[in-house]
Amino acid sequence: MSRLQGKTALITGGRQGIGRAIVDSFVAEGARVMTCGRGPRPGDLPKAVLWETTDVADKADVDALTDRVVAEFGELSILVNNAGLQIEKTIVETTDQDWELLMGVNARGVFMLCRDCIPIMAQGGSIINIGSISASTADPGMAIYNASKAFVQGLTRSIAVDHGPAIRCNAISPGWIMTGMADAAFAVAKNPEAAKTDALARHPAGRFGEPRDIAKLALWLASDEADFATGQCYTLDGGMTAASPLNPGLF
Amino acid sequence: MSGKLAGKTAFVTGGCGGIGRAICERFAREGAQVIAADLAPQGDLPDQVEFLAYDVTDESGCQQTFAALAERWDKLDVLVNAAGIEIEKTIEDTTLEEWNRIFAINVTGMFLTSKYALPLVRKSDAASIINFGSYDGYMADPGLAAYCATTGAVHALTRAMACDHGPEGIRVNAICPGYVNTPMLQSFFGDSGDIESLKQAVRDVHPMRTYGEPDDIANLVNWLASDEARYASGQLWVLDGGLSAQVQQMKL
Repeated sequence: MSRLQGKTALITGGRQGIGRAIVDSFVAEGARVMTCGRGPRPGDLPKAVLWETTDVADKADVDALTDRVVAEFGELSILVNNAGLQIEKTIVETTDQDWELLMGVNARGVFMLCRDCIPIMAQGGSIINIGSISASTADPGMAIYNASKAFVQGLTRSIAVDHGPAIRCNAISPGWIMTGMADAAFAVAKNPEAAKTDALARHPAGRFGEPRDIAKLALWLASDEADFATGQCYTLDGGMTAASPLNPGLF
Repeated sequence: MSGKLAGKTAFVTGGCGGIGRAICERFAREGAQVIAADLAPQGDLPDQVEFLAYDVTDESGCQQTFAALAERWDKLDVLVNAAGIEIEKTIEDTTLEEWNRIFAINVTGMFLTSKYALPLVRKSDAASIINFGSYDGYMADPGLAAYCATTGAVHALTRAMACDHGPEGIRVNAICPGYVNTPMLQSFFGDSGDIESLKQAVRDVHPMRTYGEPDDIANLVNWLASDEARYASGQLWVLDGGLSAQVQQMKL
């Protein structure tokens, strides 16, 4: 497998979940990969993968990260802005500190990574931002998370417009993917098992997403097979948002 | 009475249906001269509303209706294409005959009515055509396949008509209702055992905790018909109590 042979990739938030699945699939397809996260290098990260301890909300950290990309790779072919966090609050409950924390990672982090990386990206480079279906339709009680993902969609289109044809930029809007984030959402349910059963029935695909589902689309968008794809926000949610939120079959 | 539509003439297809009737009543209250066009009269209409037997699927009937109307009215300011049906089936269960019938009414009927109304609409100096789509044109309700498809066609037709006839001063918009308390919705509820708890459950899924009434839709139709909306064209106006603003409402 060598769909990314000769390419270099920076993937933020590669410790676990979707980010890690993307790291693994890019490595398997022959890319040289650097990833980052706030803590120390995860013990199970494959040796070939470079790790940089980074808070993407911090300018000095992001600058150091991109300096290292240049030192290690020279040019960057693929940037995946995956690092993100969610806060389960309405705006009334959201503190300034929450705003700083969430927008720092989900919005400012993506902005700074793109600003630093676009100048070091190779011709034909691909930026892939991880958005969310929540950018278009609201998840209840996640106000600024939803808003931060709308920022990601708007920025994705702007980069595609401003920096094409040299660079392509797309976003992936995952639905419910079985990660720690989804577990946290189910954990606050009155009856987590019943909640899972109900949620499952709302997926025409008959299952929740797995991080590798998102990695497959990220791989395609990173590869030259996607060389006409730019400026789009592709939803990958097992069909959930194709159905009305009012699903009479469930009553 | 605000009389927002004083001096205007209006033609409403499906004018005796749940939403169509509410529109005709509202138009009359706002001072318009109104024709409620429908297959057969149903229930009482206000005195100012004239019933007209009209079949949106009958091309020569449509043609004759507007030729005759041109003898009586010197212009048509507001055309509302509200005639529509739904078929509660998946594509597998839908016969070709049923498929053709729903397209004949919901899409071809809109085309024929608009086509033959156009010469009279063109004579208005503030013309507004209002089509009925549905939020189902964006996201599917299960078991409504052909209906969902017709609403998608209506949305595209609305934009096309707005592009083509905007330069003539004709505004074209579509309203995309969600769940509205009409005979169509009652039929959708069907004969499920505990209808009251079903209705409550449906209300609870909406951010506004209620589904709409025909008058809610008529409020928007009235605005789009009025001169306050003179810059509004080519748009799809979702009106659904917030239903489609949210991600699937899992029972958490």
